[in-house]
Amino acid sequence: MMQKFAPLTKLLLTLFITLWSIMLQSMTALGLLIAGQLLLLVASQVRATVYKGIASLLLFAALLAGIQLALSGDTTLAITTALKMTAMTLVFFILLATTRMQDLSIALVSQCRVPHEYAFMLTAALRFIPDFLNESKAIQEAQACRGYRSQGNPLKRLTAYAAILKPLVLKAVSRSETMALSLELRGFANRRMSSFRSRVVLTARDYAAVMVMTGLSVFILNFC
Amino acid sequence: MLECCSVDFSYKAQTQAIQQVSLTIHAGEFLAIAGRNGSGKTTLTRLLMALRKPTSGDILLHGTSTKPYSPADMAHHIGYVFQNPDRQIFRDTVFSEVSYGPEQLGYSPEQIQAYTQEALAVTGLSALAGAYPSTLSRGQKQRLAIASALAMQPALLILDEPTSGQDAQECQKLLALLNKLHAQGKTILLITHDMEILAHHAQRVIVMDHGRKGFDGSPAELFQHEDLAAWGLSAPSAFTISRSVAAFGIRQTCLMEPLIRELSQKLRRKP
Amino acid sequence: MSAITVQNFSYAYQHPHKVLDHITLHVESGSFTALLGPSGAGKTSLCLAVAGAIPHYFGGSLSGTVTVGGTVTTDSSMPELACTVGSVLQDYEIQLVTMTVEEEIAFSLENQGMSEADIARCTRETLAAVGLTGYEKAEVASLSGGQKQRLAIGSVLAANPSVLVLDEPSSALDPEGTATLYQLLGALNKQRGLTILVVEHNITQLLPYADQFILLDQGKVVQAGSPETVLTTMWTKSITPEALPPLWQLKLSLEAQTGCKLAAWRNEQEAIDELMAVLAKEARHYA
Repeated sequence: MMQKFAPLTKLLLTLFITLWSIMLQSMTALGLLIAGQLLLLVASQVRATVYKGIASLLLFAALLAGIQLALSGDTTLAITTALKMTAMTLVFFILLATTRMQDLSIALVSQCRVPHEYAFMLTAALRFIPDFLNESKAIQEAQACRGYRSQGNPLKRLTAYAAILKPLVLKAVSRSETMALSLELRGFANRRMSSFRSRVVLTARDYAAVMVMTGLSVFILNFC
Repeated sequence: MLECCSVDFSYKAQTQAIQQVSLTIHAGEFLAIAGRNGSGKTTLTRLLMALRKPTSGDILLHGTSTKPYSPADMAHHIGYVFQNPDRQIFRDTVFSEVSYGPEQLGYSPEQIQAYTQEALAVTGLSALAGAYPSTLSRGQKQRLAIASALAMQPALLILDEPTSGQDAQECQKLLALLNKLHAQGKTILLITHDMEILAHHAQRVIVMDHGRKGFDGSPAELFQHEDLAAWGLSAPSAFTISRSVAAFGIRQTCLMEPLIRELSQKLRRKP
Repeated sequence: MSAITVQNFSYAYQHPHKVLDHITLHVESGSFTALLGPSGAGKTSLCLAVAGAIPHYFGGSLSGTVTVGGTVTTDSSMPELACTVGSVLQDYEIQLVTMTVEEEIAFSLENQGMSEADIARCTRETLAAVGLTGYEKAEVASLSGGQKQRLAIGSVLAANPSVLVLDEPSSALDPEGTATLYQLLGALNKQRGLTILVVEHNITQLLPYADQFILLDQGKVVQAGSPETVLTTMWTKSITPEALPPLWQLKLSLEAQTGCKLAAWRNEQEAIDELMAVLAKEARHYA
C-alpha cells in the first residue's frame, strides 16, 4: 500500500514520525506509533527479509533498554528510550522497503533540491552495502589463509584488523571511482530529467497524507 | 596428503553445494579442477582450506581430521592463492607483504627473513622487494600473492583461476613458475577453465559437476569422455583435430607440437 | 562509412608518460573489431578515448583526434557520446546500480529523457535482445556472472548506440559463458549492424566473429587489418606468438614447414575439413 505514495510523501512521513518519536513521552502513545508502523508494513506486503531486519532491531532495542536500566535503574526511562528508538528506526524500514532507490534519489533531487550527485550517492550506497559485506568477507578469508586471526586483547585485534581494513578501503575507493566513470559513460550527467519527474510527482493522495501528518503533529504537540 | 571422505556441504538455505565428494590429493601431484562456474570448484578448495566445514563427511590431512583446524592452522600446509590479489595486499613494500604470512604463523625473525627472500627469488620478485605493491602490474601482483603463500612453507599450493584475465605472456610465465615449483616438490592444485593448460601441465584432472565429482583421471582420459560437453568443457584443438584425421595415420594427441610434426611430415612436398 | 576514426592520437594521464602514442586507425561502421596486445599496451585507454572518458573524465594531455559517428570526441560531452558509444567496463558489476533487472534498463532510458510508456516498451525489447526476458523483476544481485554481463550490455544497448565497446568481457566467464557472450555479440553485430570494439586476450573466441584485429603494444599500433594479416604478422615477426590461437599455431607452422597454403580458419571444423581434403589429396598422390 505504501508503494502507492510518492517518495516525497514517504520522506515526509519519515520526518514526521521521527518528530513524533521525539515529542511523545507516554509508553502507550509510542506503543501505538510502533503498532501503526507495523500495520503499514503488513499492509504494504514487504518482503520477509524486512521482518528479519526488524527482529534484529527489536533485539537491539531490548539491549539498549537493558543497558539503560542497568545504568539508571529507571524502568520507565529505559522502556521509553527503547520504544523511541524502535519507533524512529522502523520508519526507515518502511521508507526503504517500499520505495525504489532511484525514485527516492529523484525525489531528493527534484523536490528537496538536494544536488543530484549527493542524492545518487545515498541510494547507490544502499545498493552496494551487500557488495561491500561480500567483499569484506572475501578479504577476511584471503587473510585467514595467510594466518590472520582475530585474537588477543582489543588493541591487538585492532592493529591486526589493518590487514582487512586496508584492502577493503582501497577496493571501495577504486570501485567507487569505476562506478562514477560507468555512470558518466551511461549518460547520467544528462540533465534532461523529464521522465524522472513524472513518476515522482505528487498526487491528491499525497497531499492528503501530508495534511494528515501535519494535523497529527499539531495534535501531539497540544495534547500529549 | 589430503583426503576428502564423502564430503557434503551446503550454504545456508541453499541447495547442496557439494555432494558426496571423495578424493585424495597425493604429495607431489600437479592436479587441476575444472567445471562450470558455480559447479563447486571453489567451494571444494575452500573446504580443503578449512574456510568452510563439511556439513557431513570429513577432510583428512595426513590421516588426521581437519575439523578442529582454522584456515590459519591449514596455512602451515596449504598456500591458497585467490583470484584477486588486491583482496590481500595491504603492506607498504613487497618484502613486508610477503613476510606477513610467516610472521602470523610464528616463525623466528631469521626464518621470516629467509623464507621471504626465498619466496621472492623463486617468483622473480627480488628486484621489486622494496616496491610499493600498488604500483605492480597485474601479473606481478599475482606472483606477489604466490610468493606470500610460498613464504609460509606450504607443501600444497592451491591457485584459483590464476590465468583468467592475464595476457598470454603472463600466463606462460605463471605456468613456468608452477612447473618449477612442482619440480621442486610442491603439490600443485590449479582451478582452471583452460583446456590447453590442462593438456600441457596437469597430471590429473577432477571435474566438478553440480556439486558432485564428475570425473577423476588423466587429461587424455577426460578429453575422450562422452560427458565432456555435458560438463561444459571441450577438448583442446590438437585433440579434436588429431582424432578427426586419425584415418590418415596421424596419432591421437592432446598437444599441438606432436600434431604439427606429424602433419608436416605427411604434407611436406617431396621432390 | 567509418564508425571510429583515430587520427594521430597521443594521450598521457600524466605528462610525459604516454599510454597512447600516435595512434591512427579506422573502424568501419558495422565491423566487429578486436583490440589485441599484452597488458599495458593501451587497449583500455583506447576504449576510454572512443567513449570520450578520455579526456572528459580523466583529463590528462592529448594530441590528435578521435572521431566517433562523425563527431570529434573533444567537441562533444560524455552524455552526448553515450548515445553513440555504449561501454561495458571490465568490472561490469559496478556498472549495475539498481536493485532489479528492469530498473537497470529503465535507468539508462531515464538518463536519455525517454517517456514512461516508451521506457516500458524499450525495456522489453532490450531484455529480449540480450536474452533476459522473464528476469524483469529479478534482483540484480541474484543473477549469475554471465547474466549480469548481459544486463550490463543491455543497459548500454538501451541508449541505442551505434558502437558497442567491451573491455575484456570474458575474463570472469567460463568457456560456455564466453561462447554465449560472443554468440550474442555476433548476433548484435550481424542483425543490428552494431559496430563492436572488444578487448580480448583469448583470440580463439574471436575468430568466428571478428573481421578486424588491431594489435597494440606500448601505446602504438603494431598492425591493424584482417585477422589473417595480424595473426600472420604476430607469427612471422614473433610478436607475442604465445597469444596465437592453437589453431593458427598449427596453420602457420604447417605453412612454414610444408610450403602449402591453408585457408584462414575461423573454427576447428574449417581446419578439420581442409586438413582432411589435403591429406586425402596427398594419399591419392602416393597411391
